[in-house]
Order: sequence, then structure tokens, then C-alpha cells
Amino acid sequence: MSKAAEMLPRARIPYGTWGSSYFPAWQTSALAEVNIGQFAGESMNRIMGLRKVPTSEIEYLVIGSTIPWHWKFWNAPLVASCMGHRVPGYHVEQACATGLQAALLGGAEIQAGAHDVVGVLTFDRTSDSPVGVFPERRAHERTQAIADVWDNFGFDPATGNAMITAAGITARKYKVDRRETDDVAYHRHQQYFKAKESCFLNRVLVPLDVLNVQGRPLGRIDDDLGVRKLTHGGLRAMRELDTCVTSGTQTHASDGMACLLITSKEKAQELSPRPEIDIQFVGKTETRTQPSLMPEAPAFAVQKLLDRIGLTMADMAVVKNHNPFAVNDVIFSQLLSYDWRKMNNSGCPLVWGHPQGPTLTRVLIEALEEAVDLGGGYALVFGCAAGDVGIASVLKVS
Amino acid sequence: MATALRETTLQTMGLGSVSDILQRGQLPVSQDDLVDRVFGNSGARGSLVISGANGIVGAGKTMQLGSRLQPFDVKVVALDFPGAPDGIGQQYPGLIQAFGREGADRIMRNIIRMNYDGKHLPAELKDLKPRFLLEAIPEILEVKKAHYKIFRDAFPKIEIRSVTSGFPSSELGVGIAHPAFPHQINKVWEVVEPEPSAITQLLWAMGLIPVPVSDHWSFILDVLFCGVTLAGARYHLNNNMPYWKIDKFTRKLLGPNPFRAHDAIGTKGATFLTWSCLHHLNQRYGELFRPTPDMEERKETGQAWYPPNHFRPLVDWSLDGDDYHEFRAWVLGPLFQMTSLMLHEKRGHLSHLNAIGELCAQFRRGIVAVIRDYGPETVVQTVEAYHRLFPAAAGGAWYPNAFDDMGKPEWQQLYVNAEHNGNIGVITISRESYSWEVDRELNRAIDWLKRERIDRVVVTGDFHLSTQMVGADTSEFFPTLKSFDEGYKITSGWSATGRRLHDEFDTSVAFVNGKRCLGGMLELLAHCHYLVSVDDAQLGWPEVTLPVVPGMEGCHWPLRKARPEDWPRLLHMLLTGRSVRAGDAVGWLVDYAGPLEQALRVAWKAANGADHGLPLRNVEADALRGVPTDVRDLPDPDGPGMEIARGAIMQCVQAAAASNLANALTVQAKLAAEFLASAACREGMVGAEHARTMAV
Repeated sequence: MSKAAEMLPRARIPYGTWGSSYFPAWQTSALAEVNIGQFAGESMNRIMGLRKVPTSEIEYLVIGSTIPWHWKFWNAPLVASCMGHRVPGYHVEQACATGLQAALLGGAEIQAGAHDVVGVLTFDRTSDSPVGVFPERRAHERTQAIADVWDNFGFDPATGNAMITAAGITARKYKVDRRETDDVAYHRHQQYFKAKESCFLNRVLVPLDVLNVQGRPLGRIDDDLGVRKLTHGGLRAMRELDTCVTSGTQTHASDGMACLLITSKEKAQELSPRPEIDIQFVGKTETRTQPSLMPEAPAFAVQKLLDRIGLTMADMAVVKNHNPFAVNDVIFSQLLSYDWRKMNNSGCPLVWGHPQGPTLTRVLIEALEEAVDLGGGYALVFGCAAGDVGIASVLKVS
Repeated sequence: MATALRETTLQTMGLGSVSDILQRGQLPVSQDDLVDRVFGNSGARGSLVISGANGIVGAGKTMQLGSRLQPFDVKVVALDFPGAPDGIGQQYPGLIQAFGREGADRIMRNIIRMNYDGKHLPAELKDLKPRFLLEAIPEILEVKKAHYKIFRDAFPKIEIRSVTSGFPSSELGVGIAHPAFPHQINKVWEVVEPEPSAITQLLWAMGLIPVPVSDHWSFILDVLFCGVTLAGARYHLNNNMPYWKIDKFTRKLLGPNPFRAHDAIGTKGATFLTWSCLHHLNQRYGELFRPTPDMEERKETGQAWYPPNHFRPLVDWSLDGDDYHEFRAWVLGPLFQMTSLMLHEKRGHLSHLNAIGELCAQFRRGIVAVIRDYGPETVVQTVEAYHRLFPAAAGGAWYPNAFDDMGKPEWQQLYVNAEHNGNIGVITISRESYSWEVDRELNRAIDWLKRERIDRVVVTGDFHLSTQMVGADTSEFFPTLKSFDEGYKITSGWSATGRRLHDEFDTSVAFVNGKRCLGGMLELLAHCHYLVSVDDAQLGWPEVTLPVVPGMEGCHWPLRKARPEDWPRLLHMLLTGRSVRAGDAVGWLVDYAGPLEQALRVAWKAANGADHGLPLRNVEADALRGVPTDVRDLPDPDGPGMEIARGAIMQCVQAAAASNLANALTVQAKLAAEFLASAACREGMVGAEHARTMAV
């Protein structure tokens, strides 16, 4: 393994002090009926309990979400109260990059010496997303009502285009072949179901029982509902919504949460069930590409990051990304000369859905678990975000 | 009385034994005499002063004692700071509920509210001749001592008792009468005094339950209740489980839900008391009792232990296998260790130590009974497991040898005692509801009397801890909901015990001395040759309302003792669940009913074989013919469950009555057990309670 400088030398991710809910597709589970901030706080408490980490160890909480939720004004302290532990903290939001950015900011809190144990908790509920009413007297509509998830997906105010349009434009720019995106989607599903059958995902995902207000069972969140087994033929037959984009080659909206701890080195050894495993932040960067070319942005971010830290794709043991469109992976493969079959070995958001805030947190956790399985190495985690942004980070597992 | 299986609890108050009461035909002390002794003679009565009277304890006890002392013209002075919130006024609606408006007004008229500044007593107080101060002011030692000094300076002969939940008498310099929550209605008082005093005996004579305990920091109830709270809080600290869920598992394991109780009482005040108790115990006994940081915080902030309504719990927690074992160690370990300390310090009669948990801290079974059930080896292993989880607790206050005497009668007869004078035995039951443990202890008591060659026996309450007999402990039915065999064990086993009272003694007399005798307890006592009762006791079989089928031979035994013309009355009781006044049931259910002292004398005569004048109602051994299959004038059932139960009870009556006495036990036991495992029972109160308690 080549050596690279550490980005946040004081910060560590203690192995095994993490977890994620399953990500049921929107409107398919009890999560469609809850205050997702409360659910996230209580779930993190439950997950930390299962991981034998007392939440009283957490000194600070960074939360990440992108969709407004009831009482969001009260921010991380409220979510911490739902966790059963009163600590300060703040909220971070960067569209689909939130899940990775929150973890990096948690690391920055440690690096700054402000705390020794920071909780990172990301969550979102796309189901029944709130409708915001925006009085804007200058606008000819005077007042606009925006359904937070779907109206934003459908319209980038900076370009006037929808997300899906950006995928189509980028696919055309790179002359992506529809058959290849279908192949990517098929392969990604195969990877996911293989990981599921091998019980790999059981180390990441925690079944959670949701109660109604009477305290009776409302539903069990124990599957990535909405994930279907696809066939080549089925993918081929799907109607193209834009160039190389079908319902099978794009992700779907879902609900969920994910969390992990970022700590000092000493605390990592104290809290991790396997203290011999050391997980460090190596580097991070972001790029913004041309208008409506979002799917290429992550590749640029990765290239920029590798240049900055002096590593190559050959140094990466694990490569995993947030890929709302199969187009993303094809373009990444072209730009970085990296076989898309070698990445996303345990599944990816293209398959298991996209609850926005926690998506890249789950990607990160799965990447770290995979790196541990491989005996260590560099893990590259990256993805795109609204605004034609790409984010990438490398972590070292040793 | 020459011999007893173990010391009677009455003896701890200097009140002798139940046998003495029966033999003398009167209670050992009278309320009138004791009121005179404590407050002075009629016409020159002094008053009771309750300081801190607007607090939770003060206001509750103002009501409880005020309602009992008003008929004796003892004024109750409710003393507090001028700005104290009106705790007494809040009690008024409850008082009306209990005594009616007229009675409530009469009691309130007898309460004289006075203000003081904490340093000077009101001049008018002197006119009321204070004789007894019950201090219920905040738990600050120096403040309490200064308070006593003010009173002693003004009224040198005044008797003082503190309601403190933590300070020993030796620190306070006064006796202690520490009551249990809810203070308006809970009758239990832990008392600390060198010798049983007139005040303690007066509490008993007024129908309350004083329980003498030793003079140590914190009392039995507080150690148990604060202990189980601390155990839960410590589990939370290490495993994150929310308090509401810890409550549910604790309730399943033991009975209490301590965090809900703190919120119900008032989080800030209750948590302060818990913290204060633990803080002092921690200082004296070490880490076993150290309060958690959450307790420190909540005593200051008053933040509720449960989430607010708008954040009702959303994510459930489960405990399986090893996790549940670990939970048990976290909760039972410290409780067992704390109990070892209390046993080592001989804090009280074991039946008291056991009963306090049941009567005051929601324990389904008292801690001593729980420990006895586990056995010494498992108990020690549990504490050791706890020490592995929380090593600091191993540093002190751990006395494994305290469990060495578990085979002795003091341990083995927590609920049932037996005494005899060489001729007549007396079996006393000190638990209001019948359980497997009562059943086993009753059998041991019978065995002991038989070994002592006693052939005449009186079966009654203990005149102390059980002030009534309410029937079977329905939590014993939980296993029966899914298993006929478990139900049959109960219905056949408990019935067989009842028959021993009939078959193994030449004469057995049941004596009902409390307000009511219901359900399984009435079935049990009905097995005796004679049933004697105070005349205003309520007797009944409310099983049909649960619904269950009376399983201790209630469906045929009383019929076998009654004339055919009385059968409809018995059937009416069984099918409606309505009770009957004992005085109205003479001749067909009861053999004698009268005022207490007369009833005591009749019971003793009947046991003695003296000229008691009671005709013996024989039990018909053959099949009964002509038992009505229909009862007229039954009110409409209050639901489908009751309707089904009526059918099942009638079927049981007919089948058991149609059998001879030898077979009837089996017939009834099978049918009652079948009903316990039926959908109607699962959907009724037993099933609902099971779901609330066990389906966590």
C-alpha cells in the first residue's frame, strides 16, 4: 500500500461503531409515517446499544439531512435528546453529498481538538416530503409551493433542467451505450444480492421495529423494500426516460438513517470491538462541473483527489460510490480507466435506493466493512450531488 | 400462646399474636385508649401537627390521619410556609370520592391550616395543645434538627416523628414514621423507635400498617425502590436502552416500573428523594449505591424520565437470549446485593422486608420471596455476574452469607404463619392474594401443625399486613393462558390444599376479619368446617367479571354445604360476581357473622369445640340433584367475555355437582383450567394484564 499523508491525523473511525437502517423505498414502510429526526435519534441510540457503545460517550453530534422535518429548527440537540443524551451539535446539508460531508465534518471536529467522540447521524424521509410555501412578491406567481423532493428533482433552478435530464445530457456527451448502462444495472443488482446472501449486509444494516403512538408495532424496517431482481431482458425492455436512463438504471427515493462515530485515536481503541483496526481519513475534495453534467463530476473529484494525495486507482482496495444513474459508473470507468465491475462490490444506491442524507453514510460504512474483509487498504468513497457537484474521499484501513 | 412456626409480625409492635387475639376475644389495644394516650383524654385533647403539610407526603398524610382522627375530635394542624402551593386543597376531590361531600367537609373542618416562617411558630398553635408532630419538611438534616428544636422549645413534651426517607433516627434525634406512596391511601409506615410506642400502636389500631425497622440510613422501601431505579439507570448508562423500555422489562421481571413512578409522583421531587437516599447510602456503603449522572441532572432540572407525549417512543427495543440474561444481572444483581446488606444488618422481620416490596414498590412478589425462589447459589451467582458488569459494586456491602438461613421458617414462611397452644392451631395468611407461594407455605403450615398433633385450627388473616383477602393473584394465571397443564396444576393443586383444611382437621374454622374476602380466598376458607366473619365483610366470587371460572371448588363446594333453596343465591353470586355482606349470608355461606369481638369469641369457641351453638353444615358427598340450570333475574352481562364465562361457570357447576365429592375436584379443576386456556380468558383482564406485563 502506498503511503499518503493523513488529512485529519487526530481523527479515527472506530471499527464497528456504526450502523444503518435498511432503506425501504418511499411510501412502502412505517418510515413513511414517522418524524424522521426522532426515528434517527432513537435508532442511533439503539444501534450504539447493539454495538455496546454507551451514548453517554458521545460529546457532540453532527446531523445531516436534506428534507425538512418536523421541529428541524431544534437541530442536532433535539435529535440528541431523542437519542437519550443531551449534547450540542449542528446540522449539515449538501444534497446527496451530505452523508459523506457530515462524516468529514465530524472528523474536523476531532481534528480541531474540540471533542474526542463525535456522533455522525444522517437521515431523510422522502415519503410525504413537506411542501414549502414561499411568498416571493417579485415573482409573477407571487407565492410558490414546492414539494421538497419531487419539485427539486425536477428542476435545477441554476440550469432549468431536471436531474434526469442532466443524466441524459451527460450520457450523450460521453456517447454512453444504453446496453452498457443496462449491464451496469444488472451487475450492480447481482452484487447487492450476493452481498445480502453472504450476510455481509447484516454487519451494516440493523432491523428496527417502529411503534405507533399507542406503543404497538407499526412495522419492522428489515429490508430494502423496492429492490427487485432484474434480468437482462427486463432491463433491455424498459422504456428510456432520457438517454440511457430507465427505471432500472436509476435509483429510487427511499427513507432511512445511518450513523457512525468519529473519535480520537485513543477513544477509537477504547470503543471499537476490534481496536486493532485503525481507520483514518486520507483526503477529500469536491469539484463542480459544467451545467447539467452532474454524472461526470464525481470522476473529476476523484481524479483531483488522487492527484492531491499522490495515489492512483491501483492503490484503491475498495471503490464505492453514490450512483443515482448507471451512467455515472460508465463515465467514471471511461475517465479513470477503471473497470466498473471492480467497484461497488456489496451494492450501491443505484440498487438499494436513495434517501438522500444517509446515502453516502451507508456507502462509507459498507466500504469500510469491505476494506476490513480485505485485510485493509485504501477505500475510495465518492458521489455526485445536486448542483453538478462531485465529492470524493479516501480513507485508510489498516 | 406457646409455640409458633416463626415470630408473628404483631410481636414486632408489642401486640402479641393472632392466637392471643382469638383467645382473648379482643384486639390487644383499643383505638380509644391509644388516642387518649397519644393526644390526651376527651375534653382535653391535644392536636396533631403536620409540618410541610402542603407537600406530597404532608398533604397525603393530613388526609389519611385527619380522616381517622376526626371522629375522636383530634385537631390536625397543617403547618407550612405561606407561599407553599396548596397541596391540601388538591386532596379535596379525592376525599369527597372516599367519604362523600359531607364526610369530606367534616374532615376538612377538622384541619386547621397555619403558616409559619420556619423560625417562629404561630402563637395560636399553643391553644391547640400540640401533642404529636409529624414532620414532613425537606430532606435537609440541619433544617430538620432546627425544626425539632423550635417545637421542643415551645412544647417540651411533644412526640415527634419524621417521615424522612433517608436519615436514621440516631442522626435526627427523633423517631421515624416513614410512609409509602401514594400517601393518601398507602397504609404502610416504616417506623423506627427503641420500643414499640403508643403512636405506632395507634397507627395499627386505626387500620394502618406500621412496620418496625432498624435504625439505618434509608429504610427498606427506599433501598428497594431507589435500588431498582438505580439498577435501571445503570443499565441505561451502559446499554442505552431508554428508560421507558427498561421499565417494561423491569415490570416483566419483578413488577415495578420505577421511572414511570418517578414521573407520576413528580420527577423533580421524586428524583431528588431517590438521589438523596442513594447519595447517603453511597457515602456509607460505597459504589453499589452511587447515583448515576442522569439522576444528578434530573433532580436539578426535573426533566421527566419518559419522553414527552409528542415524542412517544418510536423505536422499540428487544432483549433476547444473552442480552436478557445480562439485563437480569444488571437489575437483580444489585437488588440481591442490597438485600444481603439489609439482611446482614437485620433491618426488619423477613415478612416485613418482603411485604414492603409488594405493598409499596409494585413488586409482584417481595424481594425475599424472589430470592428464596432462585435459591442461594443462583442469587450469589447473579450478584457475581453483576460484579463482572460493574466491578465497583464488588467493593463492599456484599454479604453472601446472609442467604445461608434460607431453609429456616423465617425464610420459608413469609406469607403464612402457624401458631398453637397445644390444642388449637392458628394459621395466619399475611398476603391479600393467593399464589403458589402462599399455597406452598400453607401446606407447610398444615404439615407443621399435624406434626405438632394439632387437630383443631383457625385460618385467618394476620391482623397486620393483610387487611383484606382479595382472591387469587391473577399473575399466577399468565402461564395458564397457553397451557391447560399449567392451569390444571393450579386448579387441582390449590383445591387439594383447601381440602386439607377440611379433611385433615377435626375442626377447622375460617375467620374473616377484614373488609372483604373474595374469589380464591373465599373458596379456600369455605373448605373449613365453619366460616365465621365480621358482619360487614363483603364476600363474593368476582371471577366471572375477569372472566375466569372459580377454580378452587367454588362451583360446587358451597352448594354441597347449603340447602337446595339457597342454591340460587350462591349461583347468583357466581354468575354476577356481586358480593354479599357477611351478615346477610349467615346460614347458607357463613356460619356466624357479628361484631369483631363477638365473632372472635365464636370462632375460638368453634375451634375449641366448646358450646358455640353453630350447626355444622355438612358437605354432601354424593352427587347433587336439582341444581338449577337457569338463574332468574340475572342482570345483562357487561360484555361477551362475561356471557361466555357465565356459560362456562354454569357448565362447571352442573358437572361438578353431578359428580360425587371424590370426583368433583377433578371435574371442576379440568373445566376451570380449560377456561383459563380459552380465548375468552386471553381476551379478558387476565390476558390484557399478561400482554401489558409480559409481552414486552
